[in-house]
Amino acid sequence: MTKDHFDLSRRSFLDRVLAATAGAGVAAAAPWASAAAQGAAAAPAAGPRVRLGVIGTGDRGRALIRNIQKSRNCTVAAICDTYAGNLDKARAIAGASVPAFADHRAMLDARGLDAIVIATPLNLHAAHAKAGLDAGLHVWCEKAMARTIKDCGAMVTDARKAGKILQIGHQRMFHPTYLNALKRAKAGEIGTITQVRASWHRNNSWRRKVPADATDRQINWRLYREASAGLMTELATHQLQVGNWFLDAVPTKVIGSGSICFWKDGREVYDHVALVYEYSGGRKVIYTSLLNNARYGCEEQIQGSTGTIEPELGRIYQEVPPKQLALQRMQQDIRKGSKRTVPIGGATWFPELPVTTPGESLGWGEYDETMLQFEGFGEAVRAGRPLPGLLAQAYHASVASLLGEAAMDKGEAMTWPTDLVAVREG
Amino acid sequence: MTRARIERFAAMGTRVELHAFDGATPAALADARRAVEAVDDALTIHRPSPLVALNEALLAGREAAVTDAILLDALDAAAAAHVATFGLFDVAADRRTGGNWTMVRFDRAGGTVAASRPLALDFGGLGKGLALDRAGAVLRDAGVTSALLSAGESSILAFGPHPLGGGWPFAIPHPIDADATLLEIELRDQSLSISATVGVGTDAPERAALLRPGEPAAIAPPACAVAIAESGAAAEALSTALVVADPARAARLLRDRRDTRFRFDLAHQESRVA
Ligand SMILES: NC(=O)c1ccc[n+]([C@@H]2O[C@H](COP(=O)([O-])OP(=O)(O)OC[C@H]3O[C@@H](n4cnc5c(N)ncnc54)[C@H](O)[C@@H]3O)[C@@H](O)[C@H]2O)c1
Repeated sequence: MTKDHFDLSRRSFLDRVLAATAGAGVAAAAPWASAAAQGAAAAPAAGPRVRLGVIGTGDRGRALIRNIQKSRNCTVAAICDTYAGNLDKARAIAGASVPAFADHRAMLDARGLDAIVIATPLNLHAAHAKAGLDAGLHVWCEKAMARTIKDCGAMVTDARKAGKILQIGHQRMFHPTYLNALKRAKAGEIGTITQVRASWHRNNSWRRKVPADATDRQINWRLYREASAGLMTELATHQLQVGNWFLDAVPTKVIGSGSICFWKDGREVYDHVALVYEYSGGRKVIYTSLLNNARYGCEEQIQGSTGTIEPELGRIYQEVPPKQLALQRMQQDIRKGSKRTVPIGGATWFPELPVTTPGESLGWGEYDETMLQFEGFGEAVRAGRPLPGLLAQAYHASVASLLGEAAMDKGEAMTWPTDLVAVREG
Repeated sequence: MTRARIERFAAMGTRVELHAFDGATPAALADARRAVEAVDDALTIHRPSPLVALNEALLAGREAAVTDAILLDALDAAAAAHVATFGLFDVAADRRTGGNWTMVRFDRAGGTVAASRPLALDFGGLGKGLALDRAGAVLRDAGVTSALLSAGESSILAFGPHPLGGGWPFAIPHPIDADATLLEIELRDQSLSISATVGVGTDAPERAALLRPGEPAAIAPPACAVAIAESGAAAEALSTALVVADPARAARLLRDRRDTRFRFDLAHQESRVA
């Protein structure tokens, strides 16, 4: 893509986000997105960039580096990974002039950074965030926040005490399709939302190939309990955030069942999870994730009394009753000038099959939402003010995913913790 | 050929279709739809409504003042239906409260309802009939001369001639045997209602329509009833009454009405139901 073309599509992406967040209802429900898009639209193309040191240059870390490079106000100023194979790959993207470290403390000691970006295994997020804050830096950290609910809270508290920004990577919160979906939901287009049915279904082992110079636990950390809550923290967090967001609440409790049902290969985390999160007023998020059937893929079905939104597919559907076939046939007959007896099926007997109407598009966009996360972060760092509302959403999504894990482990309903840290901003 | 206009929407717990032929404008159809939705809004028991407010009062043992015009009409229709069906059609019949219409005091002039014991009303199919009657009236007033309205496949109202002339021909399939037909009839300025105790969608035990008033359990014998009447409300009440009726009262309802009231005993088919 040429520079001009990129500037154009960047502009149209920002315009879409700004349009989606324009209404009062959306501005209140997604304040971070409008703040980020406004900041990004106003950000000068020139001037000093916010200098980021990336810790963890695995799959995600490298994708983040590419997005940081696309942003107008941030730059990759250092990279760090304990695994040489991944550090080398990142160096190839970031350029040889960017200092590369095998130890994050060495990177912090070398100075020259405004903030760190964390894309390491989940159980390391809290310690890496603390190290960054202690070094006087702002922190951008991938979801989920931390391996325990306590550590998630500690990250919030540490950032507040340090007076630094802590931003968590939830790119759906910046996605034009999601923002449009929210706008239309707020406008009442799908009626009262009482349920979100979310799934992330894959058909693969979720196991990565282990190179000769690495260990299984190093590469496949997400399959082991010490490092990860598996599907809950790696996948469900995104969708539980969407659930909280569209229901405009946090759950009151969760019940769930988890099992290692198909991939009995020595992993410790569930390959099947099914949970019900309850919200005030009897509303629910119903969540399933599994690793041996991909038909239903990744989706959040946001279900209202007059319609449904499927943001991953980018579609909105109205509740339209199916046609009565007999009457449809009658119309066709009449058009052809023929009069035939209409078989009328009887007392509302019709199969209640899934409705397959095509619905309407919520609008697509080029996927620059990860870049916008960084432009928003860059502006937040410059202003010394976090993007409003974002950290609370992320914190609650991480807590929800870890609470779900606890419900499945214990086989008991878990109520929403009453001792969570209050997220104060601004 | 006149152009057909169709309005399809969900209301009254089912799918409603309004097919208007001669002289229908989009505005007329929209008005007719609103007429159906207004009946739904007044008589629903699934969200706050005038009926829910009335039921709350009756369950609390209080007399209630009713001001909603649609609810008042529905109460009138329920009272008339109770008489016309020898007490078989009963909007107060409910296993949970043990109530029935004879316990209800409805003062139309005063606009009040009271009951001698706590109970709740459920208009069931009568609401669908009333909704079609009102929608039909709206279309007629708008100059439409030929229309077919349906609320689910069990409630039909036809007025005016079929667009190709003559009446509106319908066949009612056997609810269990897909290859057989129970009945063929032609409607003209008439309503048709079908009630059954068998088939998909009839197994909700709390359905008031399938209670035989005064008896504790939902009626079970597999049967299907069809009623044709001047109004949708009357057709609904009659088909419900016919399907819940004991043999003696069924015979009284059917006497001299061979062309408009039908009851099919499907007991011998029972082995094929499961
Ligand atoms: N937002 C998203 O859509 C998304 C997508 C994928 C992953 N993620 C998140 O990104 C994070 C990383 O996931 P991934 O798929 O890139 O995993 P990965 O295993 O590919 O990368 C993790 C990297 O961290 C490195 N690392 C481990 N310990 C380290 C240490 N002490 N110091 C420095 N580096 C260290 C590893 O060597 C590895 O290169 C996880 O939190 C994951 O949830 C987010």
